[in-house]
Amino acid sequence: MIQKILIANRGEIALRIVRACRELGIKTLAVYSEADVQSLHVQLADEAICIGGPKSADSYLRAERIISAAEIADVDAIHPGYGFLSENAKFAEQCESCNIKFIGPKAQSIKIMGDKAVARETVRKAGVPTVPGSDGPVDSEAAAVKIARKIGYPIIIKAVSGGGGRGMRIAHNDVSFAKEYHIARSEAEKAFNDSSVYIEKYIQGPRHIEFQILADSHGKVMHLGERDCSVQRRHQKLIEESPSPFLTSDLRKRMGKAAIRAAESAEYESAGTIEFIVDAKGEFYFIEMNTRIQVEHPVTEEVTGLDLIKEQIRIAAGEKINFDQKDVEFRGHAIECRINAEDPTRNFTPSPGTIGLYYAPGGHGVRVDSHIYSGYTIPPYYDSLISKLIAHGDNRKMALERMYRALSEYLVRGIKTTIPLHKAILSDPVFIAGKATTAYLEEFLSRTPPDLF
Amino acid sequence: MDLKQIKQIIDLMKRSELTEFAVEEEGFKLKIRRGHNGLPLITSSGGTVPPYPVVSEASVAAPPASAVAGAAAAPAGGGEKEEPGIVYIKAPMVGTFYRAPSPESPPYVELNAKVAENAVVCIIEAMKIMNEIQAEVKGTVLEILVENGQPVEYGQRLFKVKQG
Repeated sequence: MIQKILIANRGEIALRIVRACRELGIKTLAVYSEADVQSLHVQLADEAICIGGPKSADSYLRAERIISAAEIADVDAIHPGYGFLSENAKFAEQCESCNIKFIGPKAQSIKIMGDKAVARETVRKAGVPTVPGSDGPVDSEAAAVKIARKIGYPIIIKAVSGGGGRGMRIAHNDVSFAKEYHIARSEAEKAFNDSSVYIEKYIQGPRHIEFQILADSHGKVMHLGERDCSVQRRHQKLIEESPSPFLTSDLRKRMGKAAIRAAESAEYESAGTIEFIVDAKGEFYFIEMNTRIQVEHPVTEEVTGLDLIKEQIRIAAGEKINFDQKDVEFRGHAIECRINAEDPTRNFTPSPGTIGLYYAPGGHGVRVDSHIYSGYTIPPYYDSLISKLIAHGDNRKMALERMYRALSEYLVRGIKTTIPLHKAILSDPVFIAGKATTAYLEEFLSRTPPDLF
Repeated sequence: MDLKQIKQIIDLMKRSELTEFAVEEEGFKLKIRRGHNGLPLITSSGGTVPPYPVVSEASVAAPPASAVAGAAAAPAGGGEKEEPGIVYIKAPMVGTFYRAPSPESPPYVELNAKVAENAVVCIIEAMKIMNEIQAEVKGTVLEILVENGQPVEYGQRLFKVKQG
């Protein structure tokens, strides 16, 4: 029985987990850095323990301090959120060996899907289409060039230990390949402590469509529909929606089945996401699996009515998922805008600082997942996500209009935010027509005067 | 004990220099301890936590707005004035504080003990490993701020030392 959960994260997701625990009658322990003393979730949790200095490396990434806090506070489980240690197999193993339940998949599943080359190979064996590429990490520049020529340019060089859109370089010919290859390897070494890279055919202007997976420890694996996350800036998602305006019901069925096969190939448990890219002809390819709850999970929650954090906790407690694939219903259309503390008129420079007047939108079909409040000072040590605004409507048109209405009401004074950028995208005919691919945002920015934000 | 009484106790603690308060009644136990940054840490037990906010109201340190005001007025040192010549030995890790290497041994330091920088002043046990904590300052121990066997968090003040 899970009676107390340690939340090994911060910001909006930590608040999200506190809320789910409250509703389940589970006690919460927030671990926090010295920079997060005033964080909303730290104030709302039942207990709080400081685990280090402001930098993530001194606090949220200090596995031993987190487990120590878990032990002195006698917790039953740890929810790692997303980022930080959520996809760290070693941390999952440490929890296990200390008899603390890690709310997520088994360490082995994290290992399989964490190595991007191994992940591709594993799902390929399960009959899931993957992008043509090297069948593992490339040993040398010479070998890499050979494969690149065989697949055909353009190709993308990816860090084996990368993820979340980081550690990727694109090459269009032999000449740029040499340069990009070496940059990719040194970037990978710096960011992930692992310079191994693999290469894939670069599919131009694809759509990024991912499927939400939910699996229990009794063998049940299902998908909860897709999210179209094609609106990205430098591989960071800005807007996500469900259902995808591009998928036909036949393609959805085939991709859903493939997603389940991919999750099964890693013996997956808990919530996870299978990412695909889909080209203009509807050919889809597995990219990677995210073995954690994702930022954009509310989009799926709004169209299915399910609470994914609660489901994760129940699964971690050993319960069976009490519904089947055929019971999952999709209602209406949902869209999420990730609002960052960045200045879109100044090349998205981060804008930390103290929030003055704050008014969040509301009303029917509007959801705000955010930890910020009037008087809160955004610390400069972490990512710039300050709020997730989600709108739901009976159909896509209604959802978009509702999102625009909500963005127009949203007041965040004292810092710069990307709210004006989202309003501009929501008014753009290409986006409204559902034609956005991953090439969309750069194209939109290039033709939009900066003073529109 | 009802919510009103608990709120009164929290207020009393905030306004005074009380660092710890504990009470036990039939079927209910409440312990409130001042955290190192001045915010009360509250643990309570007495059956399962109801999913409704009754217990949580008492365990919230303060609504965010006033917590910000409190933090703005007081530096992270916990709201107390920094006296000249006084330093604090703080916990460099999360774990359980022990004054001696074993229950049978004498404590590393007592009140008014003189310590050098490399003197071991206590143990913090983390994940079954006993870590010896060095003073890292030179001076006289004026106060021992935590109890033997107490869980401590990162940065928590352990000893008040007069430098020199």
